[in-house]
Amino acid sequence: MKNALGREIPKKVGGRILRPFEGAFATTPTGCKASRPQKTIKPGENKVLHSIEEAIESTGLKSGMTISFHHSFREGDYLVNMVLAACAHMEIKDLCLFPTALFPVHAPVIDHIKNGVVSRIEGSMNGLIGAFVSQGGKLAQPAVLRSHGGRWRAVEAGDVHIDVAFIAASQADSYGNANGIYGKTSCGPISFSTVDAQYADKTVVVTNDLAPYPAYPFEIQQGWTDYVVVVDEIGDPNSIASGTLRITRSPTRLRIARLAAAAVKASGYLKDGFSFQGGAGGISLAATKFVGEEMEREGIVGDFAMGGGTKLLVDILHRGLVRAILDGQAFDLAAAESMRHDQNHVLMDPGHYANYDSRGCATYMLDAAFLGATEVDLDFNVNVNTHSDGQLLHGIGGHQEVAAGASLTLITVPTLRGRLPVIVNSVTTVTTPGEVIDAIVTERGIAVNPRREDLRDRFIVAGLPVRELADIKREADRLIQPLRRPVFGDEVIALIEWRDGTVIDVVRRVEGWE
Amino acid sequence: MSKQIAVGSSNKGDCIARVVRSDKPDIRIETRNENLFGRGLSAVIEEALSALNAPQVNLCVEEHGALDYIIRARVESAVREALPDIASWRRSVERTRNARDRLRRTRLYAPGNNPRLLVGIELHGADCVLLDLEDSVPLAEKFAARVLVKHLLAAVDLPEVWVRINPLATYGHDDLAEVMLSRPHGICLPKAESASDIMDLADELIRLEEESGIDVGSTFIMPIIETGKGVLHAEEIASADERVVIISFGAEDYTRDVGARRMQSALLFPRAKIVAACASAGIQASDTVYADIDDEEGLIRETKHVRNLGFVGKGAINPRQIEPIHSVFRPTKEEIEQARKIIAVAQEAEAKGIGAVALGGKMIDRPVLERAVRTIALGDQLGKKW
Repeated sequence: MKNALGREIPKKVGGRILRPFEGAFATTPTGCKASRPQKTIKPGENKVLHSIEEAIESTGLKSGMTISFHHSFREGDYLVNMVLAACAHMEIKDLCLFPTALFPVHAPVIDHIKNGVVSRIEGSMNGLIGAFVSQGGKLAQPAVLRSHGGRWRAVEAGDVHIDVAFIAASQADSYGNANGIYGKTSCGPISFSTVDAQYADKTVVVTNDLAPYPAYPFEIQQGWTDYVVVVDEIGDPNSIASGTLRITRSPTRLRIARLAAAAVKASGYLKDGFSFQGGAGGISLAATKFVGEEMEREGIVGDFAMGGGTKLLVDILHRGLVRAILDGQAFDLAAAESMRHDQNHVLMDPGHYANYDSRGCATYMLDAAFLGATEVDLDFNVNVNTHSDGQLLHGIGGHQEVAAGASLTLITVPTLRGRLPVIVNSVTTVTTPGEVIDAIVTERGIAVNPRREDLRDRFIVAGLPVRELADIKREADRLIQPLRRPVFGDEVIALIEWRDGTVIDVVRRVEGWE
Repeated sequence: MSKQIAVGSSNKGDCIARVVRSDKPDIRIETRNENLFGRGLSAVIEEALSALNAPQVNLCVEEHGALDYIIRARVESAVREALPDIASWRRSVERTRNARDRLRRTRLYAPGNNPRLLVGIELHGADCVLLDLEDSVPLAEKFAARVLVKHLLAAVDLPEVWVRINPLATYGHDDLAEVMLSRPHGICLPKAESASDIMDLADELIRLEEESGIDVGSTFIMPIIETGKGVLHAEEIASADERVVIISFGAEDYTRDVGARRMQSALLFPRAKIVAACASAGIQASDTVYADIDDEEGLIRETKHVRNLGFVGKGAINPRQIEPIHSVFRPTKEEIEQARKIIAVAQEAEAKGIGAVALGGKMIDRPVLERAVRTIALGDQLGKKW
């Protein structure tokens, strides 16, 4: 069957009947939320265990179950690899891995797929694991990729049932209160896993820093936690967060950032009460910086900026340019530090941020956002998951929810990355539909979505270089020979869910080349 | 068998072309993504070789994100270095002829052998782009640079593009022979010191224009005055040839040549002299570059200073200097309003057949009217920030 974007979606994959994407806001949820078994504990009961193996035994983790993790320790995470190694040792097989994201540090997952410990993945895969899975035939069922809010929704809706949630915490008390803000290896918020902690049959907090009761803030609460495991090391502090993220120095990328900032100014949204999402990519960082400078020049005070937190956003808060930062994860050390000391740097979980099946998303309150893409197409559809060669290499992150929510969603991309064209006739994979994209900002000009004629007029009046996307594409394509395109077979490698749980696209295995 | 020739680099946006003279002709391609790029790369390389009359070479191209024109240039350089008898690549290039006195507020410099800085040079809104074969190109790369610049000129549309050649006494003739095949709008001559420097260049241009079937006289000349002798001969340089439409001042070399410090007072004489020489010849004067790219305030201050002296433009060494320079040369709303009034009064006077008119007690003579027309023309650029 074809979904609303004309993408061919199988009716059924594994045991799951797929719902095709109907439109950004087309579906309405029904029924009630899922739940977890009741439980009580008596005063004085002990939750503390001393090894992962002990936790596996105590939770009753068995072959075929689903285990979950968060990614706040990023490239410095030890826990995923520790738990999978223990499962392999205890001959537990056929697990479904349900992380908020996987990083290159998790490359051992490849071995655990080969030896049968892991047979399914529902979560994003960066780099090596994605490339491995893209070869086809590696997993028992296609991988499922969800946005931050989409993953939260899937847990609440019962689309995914977590048997055991493993939650790495840089600080916890013996009763199961835990956070990522404090502790020897602080990683910033771990609130991506608060939904796991509340919906998993068993919740295990793993920490290297056991603090006296109470450990707070209560990102993870005692009432949700079955066990607390104390280990020597939970992550590599040098790889958890970047030092300071670097703003791009490429003249082309700086031009894109300047154009994006000028577009925000011209859009009319930049006034007192302004709100925006700053990214961590080189162009987004630069655009955020330029918008901050413009606010300072014009004496504008915004309501809030949204993270991932970065030093740049923290500076913007401290210069009084916004009243608050809403933050679900820390991209650098300065952001994690700021959350410890500044009550206007506010912790936010993905449910608050982005859950479609909820009574409110923070992203819906956003004026402007800068987002990236691996490809965009002439219908303004955006791909962030696959490369033009069909390889599954990136997660969705918050791309869908920010694009769907912000009044002004700008995709900031160069037209060419080396010999690779970014503007294509039709994206390899749709992550985010063109209907929620307002403009594409490139070094060769700005293409405004035909749905936003109001914006187009404002840009033209402001003297911005507004052009048709097809013209920009043609100009870039003149500089390179056309790419050879992959030919896709029938085998589905991964499902790309829209944030409401419908399937916006599938990734198929590359069978050959045209 | 001769030694291996290698041209280019492994920097982002570049490629390395290696040629071995061999009995076994072969083409090999090394790329990060053979599936995506392999076929396109073969097509570019084969086309490049056939334009060089399909020499029998053993060629290996190692691609690092290079655009087609970079690859064509690297292949040509490597092949011609290995086989010096091979004739240059040439393709007929359309080039609109620009007005002698068009807007030239900025000339953006780009080093001629650095794809990282050359790619996208057309995107930054500079009035003129100046591709450099002189100071920014090391001796060993002069050949590769002039070939690369030739290919860029043929591949990319630029509103006005100049090539700064080496002095004719060193490699200037070779530079010209190569780049004139892609007919830039103009040639920038460094260290101009006398009328005869200009006339020598003009003679060479006549020869090359005739050879290439370009209209004779269509290539402009921009002398750079950057020595004490050049400053003293500014007048004869400015009027040495019709092709000279603008003179640039080079402060770095000038201060070194005369033993001055780089300070405003030390540069006042050469600047004023150049402006006067240009005015008397009816051509434009453009100021030197501002070296500290992080100091926008200083750039604006210096640009205002030279605008007040009579310069109409300034060099830029980084795209981010363009907008600050343009902002200085952009007339204010009041200046545009005043210019409109002057033109209106003058037109009315002409319609009525009145000779001399005044506005607000001041005579409107020819220079005043011309200045008003120029202000309006500049003002048309007001909204065009990008």
